[in-house]
Amino acid sequence: MTEHQTIHFAAYWLPLLGCGVILCSWLAMRSLRRMITARQTTADEQIPTIDAGAAGTSLIHRWDPRFKIIALLGFAFCAVSLHSPRSVLVALLLTIITVSIARIPWHRPLRRLLAMNGFLVMFLIVMPLTVPTRISDTLIIFGDWQLMAFNLRGLELALVIIGKAWCVALLMEPLLATAPLGATLEGLTRLGLPGKISETLLIAHRYLFVFLGEVQRMRSGMEARAFRPGRRWDTLRDLGNFVGMLLVRSFERTHRVYAAMQARGYNGSLPHHHQFRGATSDWLQTMVWLGLGLGLVLADRLHTGGF
Amino acid sequence: MHISDGVLPTTIALGTGVVSLAIATWSAKRSPAEDLPKVAVISAAFFVASLVHIPLGPTSIHLLLPGIVGALLGPAAFLAILLGLVLQSLLFQFGGLTALGANALMMGLPALACGLLFQTLRGQSRKRQAITGAFCGGLGVLGSALILAILLALSGEDFLGVAKLALLAHLPVVVIEAIAAGFIVSFLVRVKPELLEAPFTLRKEQILPDTKPKR
Repeated sequence: MTEHQTIHFAAYWLPLLGCGVILCSWLAMRSLRRMITARQTTADEQIPTIDAGAAGTSLIHRWDPRFKIIALLGFAFCAVSLHSPRSVLVALLLTIITVSIARIPWHRPLRRLLAMNGFLVMFLIVMPLTVPTRISDTLIIFGDWQLMAFNLRGLELALVIIGKAWCVALLMEPLLATAPLGATLEGLTRLGLPGKISETLLIAHRYLFVFLGEVQRMRSGMEARAFRPGRRWDTLRDLGNFVGMLLVRSFERTHRVYAAMQARGYNGSLPHHHQFRGATSDWLQTMVWLGLGLGLVLADRLHTGGF
Repeated sequence: MHISDGVLPTTIALGTGVVSLAIATWSAKRSPAEDLPKVAVISAAFFVASLVHIPLGPTSIHLLLPGIVGALLGPAAFLAILLGLVLQSLLFQFGGLTALGANALMMGLPALACGLLFQTLRGQSRKRQAITGAFCGGLGVLGSALILAILLALSGEDFLGVAKLALLAHLPVVVIEAIAAGFIVSFLVRVKPELLEAPFTLRKEQILPDTKPKR
């Protein structure tokens, strides 16, 4: 405990640095948000569609969904196993290259990164303060505040976590947006996911947008009756009724939907449409990706010492 | 709150993934094939309900509703929650791809437990059902927070501080969620009480004859 290095700063640096960091991140977030909203096609687009960019012709688009899922999922798991900042950086670079190969408009992956901010910023603040001190650690101490010892190893750990989370988030777009959702799910079924689960997911995805419309309708109804979220107890009662009503309506809708599906010959499974190829190029691409992932993990473990 | 990618060690991420896929398969088997469109529609409804934000002090929280999902769906609740989480991660990147199993366990296990608890304790009167609903609603979130803390703590001593903080941050959510769940159940008792009729009371023999496709 006594051997760790400490860097001392005068106490007034703490509020100064804190404010600086908060201001910078706030400005960055705001400009990013502006950029993303400026790119949106419709104003009320609350839920982005998963497979919006499915019509492209890039290398990733032509990849057989089954192989794509295996390769990118495998790479994602390799990426989250990394420990050293350097290898995470390499993985991040690789995913960025993939997104540009797939020619996905940048506002979509950026939006994913923004969505994770809350959780990740918590790590960035909490980890340096709570990580137990080890011998080789460097602490930053402001003035006499021993309690606020800022551990650089914690900061590094938090940054590595953020990098890994960004990696996977960036991979989601090439993984999902480059084929119709139906094809991706059918690929998953071919790979062994129970067919029931993927079909249910397909139907759930469809009804999401229906219910979102319903919620907006109900909300404008509530607002027309002068509902304003605010005083806690009343708000909770109204929102409880609101959610209850949403459930009642959706249950009633399920009966109608189910009857309609049966009338069209639904017998417990949906028909399959997609043709899968499995050509040499698919195999090759998959091998390249898995090789890259495993190579990164290997290099990472050699670098950090031991598995 | 969901765990995002990159936090859990790969062994835990893979292990929880396998376990939750197994439970989801069990959950899908327990619900007849023809009920799956219903499960799908209900998971969509819960997904949308969880987008509703409630002001709390300077920030706002959104409902998680594991207790209510369990009470309404019984064994199918796990499947519904897994699907909801998949959609959240596919659409918004809430939670993550590799942490999906951990998140499903975190929300799904309390849902199953609370559903069972609700069906055993609920009684007849509206007041009692609302109170039981509130209790289960709060307990569901508390259970999720506990599992979250345990998973984080298992990831290594470095994460203990984060685990404690996450548990602490969930306490106000437990209270809000309990009150909201009480109101939701009370509303359902008044408006459509048959929704609360237990899927847990269905025996497997009662389900089986329906699973054959009608031709």
